[in-house]
Amino acid sequence: MAAEAVAVSIRKVGKRFGNVAALDDVSLDIRRGEFFSLLGPSGCGKTTLLRSIGGFEAPTEGDILIEGRSVLHLAPYERPTNMIFQHLALFPHLGVRENVGFGLRMKGADRAASARRVEEALRLVRLEDYGERRVDQLSGGQRQRVAMARALVNDPAVLLLDEPLGALDLQLRLQMQEELRRLQRQLGATFVFVTHDQGEAMAMSDRIAVMNAGRLQQVGTPAEIYERPANRFVATFVGHANMIEARLTGRAAEGLAEAEGPAGLRLRGIAPPHGATDGGVLAVLRYEKLRILPHGADGEGIGATVVEKTYMGSSLRFACRTGAGATMTADTPNAMPQRDIGEGDMVRLAWSPEDVVLLTD
Amino acid sequence: MSAAAPRARDPYRWWRTGLFLYTGLFLTFLYLPLIVILLLSFNDSTSTGFPLQGATTKWYAQVLDSADLIAAFANSLAVGATAAVISTSLALLLALGFRHGVRGQSLVLNLILLPVLLPGIVGGIVLLIFFGYMEIRSDLWTTVLVAHVNYVLPFAFLTLYPRVHGFDRTLEEAAMDLGATPLKVFRHVVWPMLMPAVVATALFAFTLSFDEFIRTVFVSGHDRTIPVLFWLLVVDEIAPHLPAMAVVIILVSTALSLAAFAIGRRADRST
Repeated sequence: MAAEAVAVSIRKVGKRFGNVAALDDVSLDIRRGEFFSLLGPSGCGKTTLLRSIGGFEAPTEGDILIEGRSVLHLAPYERPTNMIFQHLALFPHLGVRENVGFGLRMKGADRAASARRVEEALRLVRLEDYGERRVDQLSGGQRQRVAMARALVNDPAVLLLDEPLGALDLQLRLQMQEELRRLQRQLGATFVFVTHDQGEAMAMSDRIAVMNAGRLQQVGTPAEIYERPANRFVATFVGHANMIEARLTGRAAEGLAEAEGPAGLRLRGIAPPHGATDGGVLAVLRYEKLRILPHGADGEGIGATVVEKTYMGSSLRFACRTGAGATMTADTPNAMPQRDIGEGDMVRLAWSPEDVVLLTD
Repeated sequence: MSAAAPRARDPYRWWRTGLFLYTGLFLTFLYLPLIVILLLSFNDSTSTGFPLQGATTKWYAQVLDSADLIAAFANSLAVGATAAVISTSLALLLALGFRHGVRGQSLVLNLILLPVLLPGIVGGIVLLIFFGYMEIRSDLWTTVLVAHVNYVLPFAFLTLYPRVHGFDRTLEEAAMDLGATPLKVFRHVVWPMLMPAVVATALFAFTLSFDEFIRTVFVSGHDRTIPVLFWLLVVDEIAPHLPAMAVVIILVSTALSLAAFAIGRRADRST
């Protein structure tokens, strides 16, 4: 990657609180103009990393570069970043317009120019008629937008977002996701977005960094993270998958490998990258990549019995036991012909080798 | 529904009547003395007491004419305002400092609040001995002011600390994130948001100082505050305008306390 395309460079960053490592040897590059998400369970270090970029935490190891310059020695008010806080942190003693203009005022920007930019920012988040309001007179979604305008008006090199949508109900949340994405595209700005919600990360991000226990697990596009999880943690944290403990039995063409699961289940899947020729592997098969077919269908796949059928609205979930005794789960759209399959029915299960990922860890 | 439907008996009827009577007695007990004072302040008689002889406002005129009273009032206002400003400033600094977590913080906190439990008479004697030992002459701007700040400070801290402590730190982070240096963070965010609480605390501190008697009587020397003057009037001479003075003071104190309360409530809403 060309150096000038990197907005934020995290280099071997560590952060220790006593004996506990909140961040452990984290290195990654965030590209300019990218919507980048830090995804992980609570306590995984994603917020600590974000706050380290903003200057609110001091890493104990490593370096952080923004636009090629180390920022570790800079206070938050000297950094070219702006943050949208988890609970927004709008100033309750100031009106909407004063909130949005706060950053420009602190930097002593020209009054007339500031006023113009504030109006522009309000227009950007569709709040042009709300400048005179007090913050406590706004709805949840409007407050979100004020927070966005307040940060974006300063034209930051990087916008940091610390789970700002966490407190919203589902409908509003989806709406704000769209709004954020629209803003990011429109401005071509670099967004670093912290979330514990994998769906949110997938829907919004150009790339995602999955974190756990202070360590980086995988960095990639949503599709890479989902389709080719790098390890067991990513495979479990993102989406739902059949996880089958298996043994590698041989390599096949086109990056595939053969493995044998419990009860003699034979699996073919994408080989682990680091050439583990023999030994234990984990076969990962997403629920919806496992096809479930009525018994009468042609000879494709293996025979199984439906143990449990769960109705989930738009989809159906079937837990099945194969003839050899292995349990596998399949998600299908709530439609024909699967709709008519019931508990206790004989079915056939089929999948493509390209949808099975064999992991060594 | 049939007309003969039995009326449900209210099982709490007697309980309610009892509570009503009790509340009436309670309020009478609280407010009767005040009402008596109010009546006596208009009583046209040189001896304070019943029976009432007729209505007059001459005692109020006399109160407003009394040089002693005006001097004492000025003293009380001046020393009260000064004590309020000093104790509130000290309490604010202390509360701001405490947010950063000091070693042994809870011990210090308790030590600050302990003097609240000290009986006023003990406080007065201790101060008298202390000033005597230090050879400081009793006077409004030395001994009285020190005594008042000493007395008011724990209360001021007690009032202000929860509001400062509850201040949302992410607001400061947000300000800093938007380019405000620590000094600007204080000026543009912390101070405007805490100001109602600070003003309420200062008013509260003022009323405490304004009412303070026991400590003051020990250390006031020739300078009289309102409570000290009252006491001297009662002890030394017949003062038919005393009830009128009391009414004036009650009005001033109540107005200030209500203002403090109202501003304090606004401070709670805004944080």
